[in-house]
Amino acid sequence: MNTMEIAKIKRVVKDTQRIKTFILDIDVSAIPGQFVMVWLPDVDEKPMSVSYTSGDMGITILELGDFTRRLCELKVGGKIGIRGPMGRGFKVYGDRLLLVGGGVGMAPLAPLAEDAIKEGKEVTAIVGAITAKELLFVERLKKAGVRVFVSTDDGTAGYKGFTTDVLQELLQKETFDQCFTCGPEIMMFKVLNIAEDKEIPTQASLHRYFKCGIGICGHCVLDGTGLRVCKEGPTFRDKELRKSHEFGYYWRNAAGQKIYFGVKK
Amino acid sequence: MEVEVAGIKLKNPTILASGILGTTGASLRRVAMAGAGAVVSKSAGSEARVGHRNPTVIEVPQGLLNAVGLSNCGIDEMAGELEIAKEAGVPVIASVYGFSIDDYVKSAGALNSYADAIELNLSCPNVERAGQFFGKSPELAFEAVREVKRKVKVPVFAKLTAEAGDIAEIAKACEEAKADAIVAINTIKAMSINIDARRPVLGNKVGGLSGKCIKSIAVRCVYEIASEVSIPVIGCGGILTGEDALEFIMAGAEAVQIGTGVLLRGISVFRKVSLEMKEFMEERELKLEDIRGVALR
Repeated sequence: MNTMEIAKIKRVVKDTQRIKTFILDIDVSAIPGQFVMVWLPDVDEKPMSVSYTSGDMGITILELGDFTRRLCELKVGGKIGIRGPMGRGFKVYGDRLLLVGGGVGMAPLAPLAEDAIKEGKEVTAIVGAITAKELLFVERLKKAGVRVFVSTDDGTAGYKGFTTDVLQELLQKETFDQCFTCGPEIMMFKVLNIAEDKEIPTQASLHRYFKCGIGICGHCVLDGTGLRVCKEGPTFRDKELRKSHEFGYYWRNAAGQKIYFGVKK
Repeated sequence: MEVEVAGIKLKNPTILASGILGTTGASLRRVAMAGAGAVVSKSAGSEARVGHRNPTVIEVPQGLLNAVGLSNCGIDEMAGELEIAKEAGVPVIASVYGFSIDDYVKSAGALNSYADAIELNLSCPNVERAGQFFGKSPELAFEAVREVKRKVKVPVFAKLTAEAGDIAEIAKACEEAKADAIVAINTIKAMSINIDARRPVLGNKVGGLSGKCIKSIAVRCVYEIASEVSIPVIGCGGILTGEDALEFIMAGAEAVQIGTGVLLRGISVFRKVSLEMKEFMEERELKLEDIRGVALR
């Protein structure tokens, strides 16, 4: 049973202007890619990737709306509710791994990289953000021994442009056993296309509006597949996502209405 | 183990209860393909509705507590979802809720051509002046069923609450109004407080309790209803196993709905429950007809 556990914030790290990491006083043994439901009493509860998956649990929060703003106001000693870890994490098989993360999407990828390096694997990461100050976990990755490429939309650090541009160029010269991606869905959609061209199996971590988080309400089910993002996901293989005409095109809001990422298909 | 409820043929007597995996067509289709005899969609209304803030669904030791708050995409989008659900070739029942009789009529009318039956949610515990408001009054229940029956061609089921003073009285009113079947019961009002946070856990503070802990209440309700009406009764509440389902059948139910059981036994719960029912009956050389309502005699 997934019961609500109250956790105390042990440490707050301001990662970027808009992103903070909370290190909690609860021990965790999560698989990178798994998520927890984070509860702020009287406010809301939302899913978040576990960004530190062994020892003290860490979650990494992008300040985006009312809930995350209120969450980010908490200080050391503050309390939040945690349900989880839940869902299916990334599955690592290969020895040469490539990670593509956009913005706060680096959150589940960083612990994956650390674990893989510990197991003697070779890890390359493409880290993207809108601007240099919003790049997440670049130092953490370098410290772990990851080869890091950086891109920013405005060119304030690394390549001026998108992670997918860097990816395309990198795959001209090199190949990898597996690719893992998390970030804006349009980015992940493109990553899947590019990696598929080079026959590199890819796993992506999806974000959807969750209500129950335990696979029962049906709110996060992917069209075309019937797969529950909170239960069979949030990480999916490219082969699973290819069966969904929803992936890369739309998501569903709290009412269950389709909201298109860009133009309607 | 085929059964027929209000003229609708089910390959087995297990039905997905409303509110569980019923938001989208893809989800309903998956459950149908996993072995459910029929599926009921999440209650829809004339307008899209966001529902309550999270937490909306939490596990408690005795079962499941939810206050989703009738979130839904609205009847227009729901019609499309029902079409996808029907691809599985299993009967699809559209649940509708309302804040007024007109609401029920409008929503039932809009979905009637996309579904094999309409289920009137007269029993939601989580939204003021909707659901339970109608299911606690024989007069309002009567009026809702009568008006919807005038509008739609498919069978109409009325889903009732154990929180009505006398549930059999409500069921009789629905029968008088020409309801084709009664579904009993919905969740029961309950709450959970986290003692470390010292706050109610559900966003809406109060929600509806489901699962094993409400089964005996549901069996009692089905028994009382089946004693009083001659239209079919569909049992719902805490059915996890074939033995649970048989208890409802013996109380007079024609079929059963399963919700929380999906959490505890997975989406294959429908296949498992059907198989367990079948095994019990084969061992004793019984047919469903032999035991249906046997406890009433």
